[in-house]
Amino acid sequence: MTKIEEVKAKVEAGKSKLVPGLVLEALDAGNNPQDILDAMIESMGVVGEKFSSGEIFVPEMLIAAKAMSKGVDVLKPHLAGDGSSKLGTCVIGTVAGDLHDIGKNLVSLMIESAGFDMVDLGVDVPADTFVQAIKDNDNVKIVACSGLLTSTMPAMKEAVAAIKASGLTGFKVIVGGAPVTPEYAAEIGADGFAPDAGTAAVEAKELATA
Amino acid sequence: MLTKRQNLMETIKGGNPDRFVNQYEFMDIILEAPMDLPLAPGPGTRVKNKWGITFDWPADQIGSFPMHDEEHKALKDILNWKESVKAPTVFYTDEEWAAAEAHANSVDRNDKFVTAFCAPGIFEMTHHLMSMEDALMALYEEPEAMKELIDYIVEYELAYAAEVVKHIHPDALFHHDDWGSQRSSFISPAMFDEFILPAYKKVYGYWKANGVELIVHHSDSYAANLVPEMIEMGIDIWQGVMTTNNVPELIKQYGGKITFMGDIDSGRVDFPGWTRERIYEDTKKACEECGKLYFIPCLSQGLNISSFPGVYEATSEIIDELSKEMF
Repeated sequence: MTKIEEVKAKVEAGKSKLVPGLVLEALDAGNNPQDILDAMIESMGVVGEKFSSGEIFVPEMLIAAKAMSKGVDVLKPHLAGDGSSKLGTCVIGTVAGDLHDIGKNLVSLMIESAGFDMVDLGVDVPADTFVQAIKDNDNVKIVACSGLLTSTMPAMKEAVAAIKASGLTGFKVIVGGAPVTPEYAAEIGADGFAPDAGTAAVEAKELATA
Repeated sequence: MLTKRQNLMETIKGGNPDRFVNQYEFMDIILEAPMDLPLAPGPGTRVKNKWGITFDWPADQIGSFPMHDEEHKALKDILNWKESVKAPTVFYTDEEWAAAEAHANSVDRNDKFVTAFCAPGIFEMTHHLMSMEDALMALYEEPEAMKELIDYIVEYELAYAAEVVKHIHPDALFHHDDWGSQRSSFISPAMFDEFILPAYKKVYGYWKANGVELIVHHSDSYAANLVPEMIEMGIDIWQGVMTTNNVPELIKQYGGKITFMGDIDSGRVDFPGWTRERIYEDTKKACEECGKLYFIPCLSQGLNISSFPGVYEATSEIIDELSKEMF
């Protein structure tokens, strides 16, 4: 097994104490830092697929994301440029009137692990705060709106409408959360929908690179 | 006509119920029992409970949430749980028990089960203390400390149970612990077997050894993959079972060993613009698909209430109508 393969395997297994050392060993072995990063992103893609299919559960996803994060910390000084993501920035938040953050946090972790820079606006985010965040941050490619309550679906609709009506361009909007269906996402004008965190990362990547 | 209690027993034992058990009708829940509630008391309030967990209920929300920012998180490092986590006393004065005892004494036990209430559950308590992310990762990263913390919570629950038994002699227990999201359980069955199952075998075993005939467990989530564990720990009725579990299939597979109470998702029917038509459609589908045995039509909500006025009562009326049509 090469050092890069070891890094991949340990990220997938969530070995956050081992991954930083293995990343250093992979660098010492002459591997390109970008290749190491791509390998970790690939691992998280596998983790996301396994989560979506029910093969693994939330703890496994969390520890894998933590392992990758520890690896990226070691890798960042070695990456070319300013260390910003190739895929761009993703603005994420739970819509106004809704305080649920667990699902949103998992989606944020997985989208970050797919290679985005994240701007997490937290919970109970008014529509105009999403719009302002798109203006305030560079290279926004994805805006992700989360909502868990049936009663806050109108707030999600309002957020998507405000973002679309802002005149700002260059990004796509994805939505998700327990009551959200693909049909509802289309109805309110979202560009994408994801039923879970693993799928959200895949969808975000596809939309950002389309 | 069978009493509510008799009708419940016929339903869960595979006998001859004469109507659907209507939601929570068979339980008279003694909510006056003194306890350390895991909630802020109402919209616009914030409280720190006796475990040190701060709950916030913003004015415009439908419920309260434990706060887990650095300032408010009760347990910041699982390895320090012994220093950070102190269970409150389970002992209350006779005066504090008086209302609960009076309520329990007023119940016709031939008609209803005098029901003790426990919340939060053991799993919930770990993430109320630490945040969901920290609690779930700690199951992997510090399993021994998590087992110690869970044992500590179990000891508290057992001590509290002894007090409840002494004061109100419950026939049933209604116990909360959400074990999943809408689509999956939070943890794998293997991890559940290691951490959660042993804890509940002790707790539910104690209640059953002390006069409780019926264990009703609330988890308004997906948890179909945990039904064998529910049976093993002694749950008689899983309340809150959501449609995502494929309840008719669960009844085919496990009916006779456990009863499923729910299949009407509150999220679909309980919202500001609720309609009787939507409730009727979902309730009728549930009753027709799940049948008369090992099933209790019920909102997935974890008490005999709804978030928006009228929804619980409308659902009950519709279940009565369906009983007249189908029995």
